[in-house]
Amino acid sequence: MTERHRLRSVLWLAYMNGIVPMRTQPLYLLSILASPLSFLFFVTVASGGTLFLYGIAGGMLLTVLSVGTSLQTDMSHYRTDLKFQDVIVASPVEAPVYVVGIALSELIYSLPGIAVFIALGAWEAPVALVGAVTIFAVLLMVWALATALGFTLATFFADVRETFVFSSLVSLGLTVLPPVYYPISAIPASVRWLAYLSPTTYAAMLMQGAFGLQHLTFSSQVIDWAVLILSSLALLSIAALKARWRDP
Amino acid sequence: MSNAVEARALSKTYRHSGGTTDALSGVDLTIPTGRVYGMIGRNGAGKTTFVRIGATQLALTSGSMSVLGYDVMTETSKVRARIAAVPQESRPLYFLNVFELIYLYLTIRGTEARDARKRTEAVLAELGLADSRKRLVSHLSGGMRRRAMVAMVLASDADVLFLDEPTTGLDPIARREVWTAIRRAIRDGRTVLLTTHYLDEAEALSSRLALLDGGRVLLEGTPTEIRERVRQPFRLVVSGVLGRAELEPFGSVSTVEGGYLVFAKEAPARELAQLALSKGARVSLGPVTLEDIFLQVVGKAIDADDVPAEAAE
Repeated sequence: MTERHRLRSVLWLAYMNGIVPMRTQPLYLLSILASPLSFLFFVTVASGGTLFLYGIAGGMLLTVLSVGTSLQTDMSHYRTDLKFQDVIVASPVEAPVYVVGIALSELIYSLPGIAVFIALGAWEAPVALVGAVTIFAVLLMVWALATALGFTLATFFADVRETFVFSSLVSLGLTVLPPVYYPISAIPASVRWLAYLSPTTYAAMLMQGAFGLQHLTFSSQVIDWAVLILSSLALLSIAALKARWRDP
Repeated sequence: MSNAVEARALSKTYRHSGGTTDALSGVDLTIPTGRVYGMIGRNGAGKTTFVRIGATQLALTSGSMSVLGYDVMTETSKVRARIAAVPQESRPLYFLNVFELIYLYLTIRGTEARDARKRTEAVLAELGLADSRKRLVSHLSGGMRRRAMVAMVLASDADVLFLDEPTTGLDPIARREVWTAIRRAIRDGRTVLLTTHYLDEAEALSSRLALLDGGRVLLEGTPTEIRERVRQPFRLVVSGVLGRAELEPFGSVSTVEGGYLVFAKEAPARELAQLALSKGARVSLGPVTLEDIFLQVVGKAIDADDVPAEAAE
């Protein structure tokens, strides 16, 4: 395959799995928003409105992280139930093209959800250009991280039902324990180290910094970016090395 | 390149919690280009394992397999550029309509949009799917979904097509339509490796056949060659008057509805036919069918399913 063919295949895959289902079943879009909006509502009500912006930043992160969960479920379903992955394996389409295509489709599918949070954020507290670029870069990095994790996990399941168990655990580890919807200072100091084990903690702090909710020193920004980039690269490497394209 | 697929001492062992299962044991097969090659056998015979290794979906354990001269393990991308497959029990993506299913498969494979459209229209017409082009595949019957999957790979530019039980669940008319499309694929110079439970299908489409059981090739050749290699190449169905004891000296006897089925060599078959007619019994005489051959060689009917779950493919 030439680079042009690879790019075309990625875009056709993204169209097939992102645009077509949106057109066929628009109600699915609401499901993307259900969890982030529920968290936003809960956090806002519980904090008397003081954590509303945290909820916006968290909502964006959760929406992009859900790309990983959706990808994991779709990949498992396509591999084990529909055997669609086997159809693609027996074709010129390479594994990275397939993964990027499906990952892009999930991102496209989550775009309306992200747009809602961007609109809410712009209405409540518009961010400067640097902040907007930071938010975009963080979301892009989290997308890569979620994609790598979703694909790696999906290739090891024999049944799509197993993915539901892992999806819940991954959600717990990536979105509930880390301070995605609240400041890290809200976590008791004795267990705060647990939050630092999750790469999304660093993404959340960068997002909160971009929204002007936290003051981040230069050194803490460097550390946050370094952890986020390294953990994304590590997960992408694991995905490239360990994921199964041909069954053993 | 004269051969589409070559397997040499091909073996595959599955490891699982209960131990290991040998799905293929030292299989040697040569599949020529431009033909339909039929692979028949019961569940667990090794057909799907063979197809999945050839389609680069499954790693082999030992031996080798090449497709169009390229090794499936070391020259995978070259193999994948020339093949297409309909896996066993595969189903189309439910949110696509029939046109999109085929068209998007082709464009994802790398076919230019205009060519993909042309190919899609042609295969829709050929497989009787043109009227259903806008229907979501989730609204189609099981048979039509299967036909859409077959249409997908037939529309591709692949040189070798792996069709793993492509007509399972189709009604007789739909099966014939798929057969027509497969024959068209052959007219285009392509090779089709077809696994099937339907012996009539294997016989109607295949220029060569392999009969697999327990991971081994028991018989291989053209349908005529296979018939010639069978110990008792004639079948008689005898009803009335003659009992089992009177039939057994002529060949192998089994009970069928309304009488007995006898497999016999040519001379005893003729002798038995004359005897049966002289005694007023009803008798029919003819060459053995592929199903009969299967029964003789394997000792069980093709639809007998006594394979343990862990050995199932």
